[in-house]
Amino acid sequence: MNFGWLLPILILVPGLLGVACLFLRSARAVLRLCAIGTLGVAAIAGAVTLHVFRFVPLFAGRSWFMLDALSAYHLAVMMMVFSISALYGVIYFRDEVARGTFTDKQARRYGGLWFGSLAAMVLVLVSNNLGIMWVGIEATTLLTAFLICIHPTAAALEAMWKYLLMCSVGVAVAFMGTLLIAASAQQTSLHGSDALLWTALRDAVHQLDPALLKAGFIFLVIGYGTKAGLAPMHNWLPDAHSQAPSPVSAVFSGFLLNAALYCILRFLPLVEAATGNTGWGRGILIALGLLSIVLAAMFILFQRDIKRLLAYSSVEHVGLIALGVGLGGFGAVAALFHMLSHSLAKTVSFASAGMLGQSYGTHDLRHFQGIVRRVPVWGTSLVIGLLVLIGIAPFSIFLSEFFILKAALSQRAYWTACLLLVGLCVVFISVLRSAIAMAWESDTGVQASHRFKLSHGLLVFIPLAVLLVLGVWMPESFVQILIRASELLGGTP
Amino acid sequence: MTLLQDTLLVALILTSFGMLVSGRLGAYIRMGALQGVMIGLLPLVVGRATPTLHVVFVAAAMIGLKGLVFPYLLFRALRESDTKREMNPFVGHVPSVFFGILALLGSFWMDARLGFPIHSSAALVIPVAFTTIMIGLFLIVTRRTALSQVIGFLVLENGIYAFGLAIVYEVPILLELGVLMDVFVAVFVMGIAIYHINREFDHIDIDRLNTLRG
Repeated sequence: MNFGWLLPILILVPGLLGVACLFLRSARAVLRLCAIGTLGVAAIAGAVTLHVFRFVPLFAGRSWFMLDALSAYHLAVMMMVFSISALYGVIYFRDEVARGTFTDKQARRYGGLWFGSLAAMVLVLVSNNLGIMWVGIEATTLLTAFLICIHPTAAALEAMWKYLLMCSVGVAVAFMGTLLIAASAQQTSLHGSDALLWTALRDAVHQLDPALLKAGFIFLVIGYGTKAGLAPMHNWLPDAHSQAPSPVSAVFSGFLLNAALYCILRFLPLVEAATGNTGWGRGILIALGLLSIVLAAMFILFQRDIKRLLAYSSVEHVGLIALGVGLGGFGAVAALFHMLSHSLAKTVSFASAGMLGQSYGTHDLRHFQGIVRRVPVWGTSLVIGLLVLIGIAPFSIFLSEFFILKAALSQRAYWTACLLLVGLCVVFISVLRSAIAMAWESDTGVQASHRFKLSHGLLVFIPLAVLLVLGVWMPESFVQILIRASELLGGTP
Repeated sequence: MTLLQDTLLVALILTSFGMLVSGRLGAYIRMGALQGVMIGLLPLVVGRATPTLHVVFVAAAMIGLKGLVFPYLLFRALRESDTKREMNPFVGHVPSVFFGILALLGSFWMDARLGFPIHSSAALVIPVAFTTIMIGLFLIVTRRTALSQVIGFLVLENGIYAFGLAIVYEVPILLELGVLMDVFVAVFVMGIAIYHINREFDHIDIDRLNTLRG
């Protein structure tokens, strides 16, 4: 039985839910629909993903839609991020709804854009047509822009404009890259719409024009790299991520970046195979990855705003993923594993930072004191989340960072390993310093302002527990999934 | 057809240069609309003897959007704001024109060096597309008001479209429509953004939006 028809459904359902949000009466109803609807979409996505992992890739619509191990893995991570963030949205906006700062009209717009961006990101992942994938990425930019300024403050508008313009230009550059890729297929037997099908290009990869393919890849890396937050095209990222409401920041950092990086990953095996596996394309990813890690580390060192700190940490982690994929083989497996860990940890951290921000009325790190005592659930989860993100031992990010380092050493890329270690150490020390200060410094006399709620605790501690388990024990089937997904990136594991 | 094609291409470059010298935002929008119409006509004359129905349809959609809908949206945004002129761009008008000329020369040089595998009848399209792309980027970087940045983005988009026209023979219609819709939504969204920025700040000078740093 072919379940390919589920792929268009997966785009349609969030689209319809988004429209439904526009007709709801109250803000509470919108937020509830966001949570339930996202979980519903996650259920469909989960079924499709399991099918792909157990059996074969799914195709639909004359092969314009495809879900293989790589995109299914991304889809699974994405639905986890969206589900946690949607449930968290109900908690986060509760105070604002009560105070009247989150009106019904704003809520309807929020709900519509929430599901709209969900649909656009699904479109990116399930398109086999590289042009449609581009349309999806551009759509995510436009739909998420207004999510940043749900509260139209001066700073949010500034961040939104930067995001909108930088990413639109970046994505336009990526379109030029896509055109060059299509042009590279003109000497082959591919014609019309086939020239942009990823599977068709992969099968005819040795007939593609390598020069045009290389030129196209450079444009694609710059274009999609802007959206993915790779340095030096990351300038919009800390502003947008810090000004957006926290559930939106969580989605931005947790998956929007990965969606853009995914597009680059699709083109990498084509370029590598057509240029005879000389590592030309991988080298670009390694260089940009290292630059992102080192640059982000410098900014984290002097950061005073918790949400900006988390945003720069995303630049660092996207750099790590790019570096791992660039190293290839074992490194690519580690990079995909790292992606899951980072997305979960970052979602939880942004969620906790948002609640602390509401409680303290600021995002300035220097004002966060005694957070573990004052806001027990969210304070604890923020501290643990930060520790996970810098790679404290039993958690899974320690493992994936260690594997990436090992991959670099086994390829005798000593300078790469050295720079990676320096970057990681700087981040480790500076974040640890802030985390300790926030958690315990001068916490005498601080009163708990939040009571412990089981639902809040479960929402943040389940993902953290998953990261802990994955850090000490990886199920064999999960390893198989990672290996199958990384095989699609080319190279030999 | 080549005479018609060359006329269109020259006019395309002239509209881009017009934007480099102009200071009034209204003139930017009109220039952009004119360029949009020409970009829409381009597929009808490039490289083909008789345009197919699909090409005509996309051209009509393009001309309608870029020649009518976008100017309408942008003029509305302009009416809302008090800013009517592009005051003190980061690079003055005379150096801007110099840049334009350099971009034009550079594009021909680059085109000669790269040697794209294209039909000889469309040979002039590539350097013109490069020039348009460069001028679009230049406008975005050097102009201060939000509105002229949007126009710069449209010029960039036009250049990329012309480039695609020359090097990809046949783009599926669904894809072309998807791209067109994205551009439409982009301009729409940017227009609303300008409205909000103007209401919050009383100006649309992007250079003065600089509180977020570090």
